[in-house]
Amino acid sequence: MPDAAVEVYDLTGTMDHLEVFVQTKAFVGVSPLDRHRMVERALAPARADGRIHALQIRTATPEETHG
Amino acid sequence: MADLHDEIQREIAGNPILVYGKGTKDAPRCGFTLETIQFFNRFGYPFEVIDVLENMPKRQALSEMTDWQTLPKVFIGGQFFGDTDILAPMAEKGELATLLETTFAGSGVSPTIQLR
Repeated sequence: MPDAAVEVYDLTGTMDHLEVFVQTKAFVGVSPLDRHRMVERALAPARADGRIHALQIRTATPEETHG
Repeated sequence: MADLHDEIQREIAGNPILVYGKGTKDAPRCGFTLETIQFFNRFGYPFEVIDVLENMPKRQALSEMTDWQTLPKVFIGGQFFGDTDILAPMAEKGELATLLETTFAGSGVSPTIQLR
């Protein structure tokens, strides 16, 4: 997702309970479930080694954000 | 594995709203499971929570069936809806209320809470 704008929020101050907001054109026409699968796949290594314990995901296309 | 799939299919078919989570309704053992329980409490429809925290084979089967690695996992009317990251935006747009009305239509079940 080369154009992706990503914001990360540390929810607990412990750096492992995170919320991410990902905005990219790659989400156009993609269902919410599949958008989450894409983000989870990108973050799979950080999930696997425990850097991310809990993660909330919000997604949007540029049009959805500005529209 | 086939048995697990059958068991899961039976559970999904038998519960209009089904949450696979960590812990039970009375004793959730994960913040997101608790959040999901509180989320559905707001709608007032009956829902079931099945604890799979320590059942790794079942968690594996569920992840494969849904292509979704995390808990909780929510099924409504037999269909997979991910978690509250997916459901909260649907709720904001009013889509979830409509979905729940459709799901429970004709079942004789009405919500204990009237939202509108």
